Amino acid sequence: MSAAPRARPAFGRSLLRLFTVQGSWNYERMQGVGMGVAEEPLLRDLRVAGNGAAYRAAVARGAHFFNAHPYLCGLAVGAAARAEHEGVPPDQVERLRTALCGPLGSLGDRLVWAGWLPFTSGLALIAVALGLGLPAILGFLVVFNAGHVALRWWALRAGWTHGVRVAVALRQPLLQRATAVLGPAMAFVVGAALPLVAQYLGSGFLGWSRVALAGVAAFGFALLWWLRARLTGVRLGLVLLAVATLAGWLWP
Amino acid sequence: MSPALLSGLLAWGTLVGLDLVSVPQMMIARPLVAGPIAGAMLGDGWTGLTLGVLFELFQYEVLPVGAARYPEYGPATVAAVSAAHAAAGTLGLGLGALVGLITGMAGGLSLHAVRRLNARAVRRATAALEAGDARVLVRLHTAAILRDAARAAVVTALGLGLALLARTYLAGTISLRGVLLLDVAAVGSALAVGTAGTLRLVGRGPDLRWFAAGVVGGAAVAWLR
Repeated sequence: MSAAPRARPAFGRSLLRLFTVQGSWNYERMQGVGMGVAEEPLLRDLRVAGNGAAYRAAVARGAHFFNAHPYLCGLAVGAAARAEHEGVPPDQVERLRTALCGPLGSLGDRLVWAGWLPFTSGLALIAVALGLGLPAILGFLVVFNAGHVALRWWALRAGWTHGVRVAVALRQPLLQRATAVLGPAMAFVVGAALPLVAQYLGSGFLGWSRVALAGVAAFGFALLWWLRARLTGVRLGLVLLAVATLAGWLWP
Repeated sequence: MSPALLSGLLAWGTLVGLDLVSVPQMMIARPLVAGPIAGAMLGDGWTGLTLGVLFELFQYEVLPVGAARYPEYGPATVAAVSAAHAAAGTLGLGLGALVGLITGMAGGLSLHAVRRLNARAVRRATAALEAGDARVLVRLHTAAILRDAARAAVVTALGLGLALLARTYLAGTISLRGVLLLDVAAVGSALAVGTAGTLRLVGRGPDLRWFAAGVVGGAAVAWLR
């Protein structure tokens, strides 16, 4: 068992380092090294308490394999650091980290990559299409990052508060409600953005080119849908642009 | 284009590339942000905003989960805006999209290369990491971030070089009809990718009804304007 943790000053440092958690992403330990770097400030108390061996062992464990959603990594960092301070056996700390990978990855993907991010980006697309211009982009950055920073902060604090019982934090009603609401909200907003963006981007096309645009968009969508396992958007775009260049040279 | 402006675009592209995965993931890497800022630097807000919207649609296809490989559209959008800037108005869209998509593909490949280099560095430092050496840990992490910054700079430089080539050798050789065809291909594929990407995100569950309601609402607003 170690000395009582003095987490408050270390919290800020850990949070700042969490913003770089994917900086050393690799196929060996994935986010592991970044996780170790973020957890290290929270482990310094172990060294101060004269327990250098416990500190080094905890730092080594903190840098082991880990992969989850980057915005929620703080939950595992806080929980593991708390467990180390409470003298939880090393294999249990390892099991805790392993057990958190899946739930934090899936929750973060649903909440952020498939929810908050496309939702706020869709709102920005609507605003740009309606003529708001640069303020819409600024608004997107402010609103998205308000949620982003709040989530990172909450995750680190919740991890530290609950330690090995961190699963309690994942059952937070607010988190569950946000996940449930963001799915339909994202679908509605991005759905509304698509026709408006089509109008915005298509406004420069007149006559035959407007008909061609509708045809290319429909043909491209059909191709992407039927060949979804093989055809990516970037390849479709490059093929269509190559065909257009060729047609332009043949039909001057 | 002046060297100062070129350096500014290179710096912006590097920051944007760094934001995608490494630091701080605040979404300046989104084309919708990267494009307008590049446009503002060039004094061409319209092109920046339009190409930002166009590449944002391409971005909807990307779900950056786990070890997934995907194109990098941030520095690509900066390069696209630089390519389209010379050809005024709508004429530059297709040219910008061509440069941007090639740069995006190169960016995706470079991400994979950097991840492999990071893995090699981690393997070399395994003994120190297992000994709990915090200095080695932080040094390894910092070196990886610097590696990613160098990668982003190289990708942006490649894109800006491609933009220069496209402006010099392609822009003058394509007929007006050819340029229009390029624009149709660029905007058409972006709309197709954006729609397909969103539908994959929405899935076949109850959210599909919300998506359909959104499309109807958006179409109504577009029609009324």
